[in-house]
Amino acid sequence: MDNFYLLGIFAAMSLATMLTRSLPFVALAKVKNHSTLDQFGRLLPPMIMVVLVCFGLVSLEIESIDRGGLSALSFVVVIVLHAYFRNPLLSILVGTGVYVIGIQGFGL
Amino acid sequence: MTHPTASDFWEALRDSAPVMFGYIPLGMAFGVLFQSLGYHWLFAPLAGVIIYAGSAQFMSVGLLATGVSYTEAFIATLLLNSRHVFYGLSVLNRYPKQGLARWYLIFGLTDETYSLITAKPPEFSKNSRYFVYLTGLNHSYWVIGCGLGASLQSFFAFDSRGFEFALVALFLVLLIEQIRTMKERWVIVFAVCASILAYVLIPNQFLLAAIGLCLIVVIVGARRGEVDG
Repeated sequence: MDNFYLLGIFAAMSLATMLTRSLPFVALAKVKNHSTLDQFGRLLPPMIMVVLVCFGLVSLEIESIDRGGLSALSFVVVIVLHAYFRNPLLSILVGTGVYVIGIQGFGL
Repeated sequence: MTHPTASDFWEALRDSAPVMFGYIPLGMAFGVLFQSLGYHWLFAPLAGVIIYAGSAQFMSVGLLATGVSYTEAFIATLLLNSRHVFYGLSVLNRYPKQGLARWYLIFGLTDETYSLITAKPPEFSKNSRYFVYLTGLNHSYWVIGCGLGASLQSFFAFDSRGFEFALVALFLVLLIEQIRTMKERWVIVFAVCASILAYVLIPNQFLLAAIGLCLIVVIVGARRGEVDG
């Protein structure tokens, strides 16, 4: 394990995080066109969230029908719980619990 | 600045409690996943301290496993966190104008901290001490979670199989929240198409390709003025 490489990756990611969060504070004084920025702020986040959900699906490595069914079930659990209770913690914990039990308990 | 220090702290503690219940298990999920890489467990809370971005840290496990370059990690994090660029816009006037507190508050502007800060009435903008407590508490929950997950994994051989779903669930929940409040739901269709296209064309660079396609859609949409949906 190369600790130097790990710290380099951490540093690069830390710098990128700070850059994205500080950009409007540093640069906004010079930006006049707020409506375009607003549009970005409004449209981009939900699109990126869709991409991240898809990225997560890919990372789940669904290679069998059982695994696919378990993923679909866990998805539905999260959506239904969130639609009714609107409690992010509850939705995430129970959905993940269903998935973990399926993987570990039933060997899916 | 009429609020005494103690009440600021307790108020921040009370307001941040839901975030604690979210950050500790999620941080633990990161810690557990991170341990699959085989580094010393203390690097997991360190990631929480210096990166402090949930989705980016989860992504880092995949990046580290495939041995990406520093530049790739930098660009991928920049793109993944690009939504944070827009968070600053609505708290510009609430944050102190200078000093160390300003920069710490900007660094700690996560989705959850942002939503708590914007939920406060505007008169709170004078009270930067409260903001520092709130940001610091959220940051500490996250670091504690990362450390707990990674150390439990090291000492008790915690079975982490399946916990990667927490990330998918988090994004799914955030997506549902965003769909609820948005008018231009057509962009969701474009984002799904962009994801499928990126997966078919460049599966190795899925994240970059898909977010790049989304950026193009928004830019073209903005240029043509057709975003009134």
